[in-house]
Amino acid sequence: MISHRPPPTPLRILRALLFLAVAAAILGPIVVIASTAFKPDGEIYDFPMRLVPKHPTLDNFAKLADRFPLYTLNSIKLTAIIVLTQLVTATTGAYAFSKLKWRRRETVFTLYLVSIMIPVQAIIIPQFLIVRNLGLYDSHWALVLTGSFTAFGTFLVKQFFQTIPDSFLEAARIDGAGEGVIFARVMLPLAKPALATQVIFSFRYFWNDFFSPLIYLTSPRLKTLPLGMADFATETYSYVGPQMAAAFISIIPVMLIFLAAQRYFVEGVAASGIKG
Amino acid sequence: MRSKNLSPRTTVAIFLLPSLLGFLVFVAAPIAMAAGMSFTNFSGGPKFRFVGLRNYAAAFGSPQFAASLGVTALFTVWTVALQLVLGLAFALLLDAKFIGRDFLRGLVFLPNVLSSVAVGLAFCLVLDPKRGPVNQFIAHLGLRPPNWLAGEDSALGTLVMVGVWQSFGYYMVLFLAGLQTINPSLYEAASIDGARAVRRFLSVTLPGLSPIAFYSLTIAIIRAFQVFDQVYVMTGGQAGGGPAGSTTVLVFDIYRNGFGAYRFGYAAAESVLLLAVVLLVTLAQDRAQRKWVSYDLA
Repeated sequence: MISHRPPPTPLRILRALLFLAVAAAILGPIVVIASTAFKPDGEIYDFPMRLVPKHPTLDNFAKLADRFPLYTLNSIKLTAIIVLTQLVTATTGAYAFSKLKWRRRETVFTLYLVSIMIPVQAIIIPQFLIVRNLGLYDSHWALVLTGSFTAFGTFLVKQFFQTIPDSFLEAARIDGAGEGVIFARVMLPLAKPALATQVIFSFRYFWNDFFSPLIYLTSPRLKTLPLGMADFATETYSYVGPQMAAAFISIIPVMLIFLAAQRYFVEGVAASGIKG
Repeated sequence: MRSKNLSPRTTVAIFLLPSLLGFLVFVAAPIAMAAGMSFTNFSGGPKFRFVGLRNYAAAFGSPQFAASLGVTALFTVWTVALQLVLGLAFALLLDAKFIGRDFLRGLVFLPNVLSSVAVGLAFCLVLDPKRGPVNQFIAHLGLRPPNWLAGEDSALGTLVMVGVWQSFGYYMVLFLAGLQTINPSLYEAASIDGARAVRRFLSVTLPGLSPIAFYSLTIAIIRAFQVFDQVYVMTGGQAGGGPAGSTTVLVFDIYRNGFGAYRFGYAAAESVLLLAVVLLVTLAQDRAQRKWVSYDLA
């Protein structure tokens, strides 16, 4: 491609410098996590800070070996279960709100929408008591059940379902398909982009979630990566190297997925704003 | 008794229940319970009684509650202002076409997907008052470095900085989406009318962005009100809340009263006040949007 390159003007140079500064400011802390994770103790506070460790080591990861494999496993397991549960509740709910007709449908949907705005911290005290009375305190069930409902996900999928013409459904009904078949064979395959966005969104949220595990889990064997990492930092205040190794383990999967599926992250954010 | 064009009840029930159950049990019921509990001295045990407005009176009379409101307000004002201004600025800068634009957009959004605990720990290292790289650099220049998270005056500001670092990319994405909804012919019309860049920005871009701006403002305020992870991780854990309580935000105070001191009734009253704020902000946005927002440009 022969492209016409505009000549550098002072304004362009200034803009390039600004972008360089911003890129450095954003990458800085991330690079610190990645490089400190592989540094021996003595190098961590060297000045000027080295980006690449002089004597790279896996010692920091070895210090995590007793607990973090379990934390990581718990995080993977819980995130997977909650993401799938949310996918079920969001898609079935979306179908009920977009393709089925029933009284008070709009009222109930408005209530769902209002709940998007309500922060979990504002309802955590009674929610905790409900969970405790159900006998679910200090179990993974507490997180799966409190995380099962997603107003945002229902909204997101509903917006997409609405773009699928009712005539598609009518055609299937005339062919004798029940609602279950229409939902599974017509709606879900067509809504793949919306489902991908929903999956990415709930993955990001629950992989990083710290507040709910902090409230609902006390047994070390149940804890997740963010909670385990925070505990570890409190107990071993000066173990900065292993702390960064733990942080590294926690940010790598989400960064890889972000690189691969950036589009869906961005579309989810944009969808909430334009239609919300 | 269903009329002809309603779907069969069992079908509706099957599709609706998975989400409705979660909503009723873990969202709607807690809201109702918060209100009820706030009028009791419930502390988790079987014995408790109705105490009327005493929890609310205690909250409004408590210097700790007042302080937490003040800290929350300060945190919210700074965080929201910086996030929205930077978000808008970068949306405008990264709307133009140039090489590396998409990479930069991705980069600015990236902190958003990272664990706030991991990010918090990284900033603790970077901003370590004595040995951290930032302060070593400042000292190297011969200046007096700030105490960041360890200082009574600087801890909250540091949390604002970290919060903005992590989230302004989110608002950039929202504003970028908003910019795409503006009809390009409006810019052409304005240009033909002889409007310069600044004028075009003021009379086309800004009005066109107003719906997204109101939405962003609401979201940013509500998110700032619920800040917790950073306070917990960066300023002292469960017993923390910053040097001299300087980062004890409302949500942290609720957490400490509820899960530290088991004053569930009192913490519920604080939660109801938080809910009221959230509701007010949402309603205010709705009203303001009706009055100020131009939708006819899209």
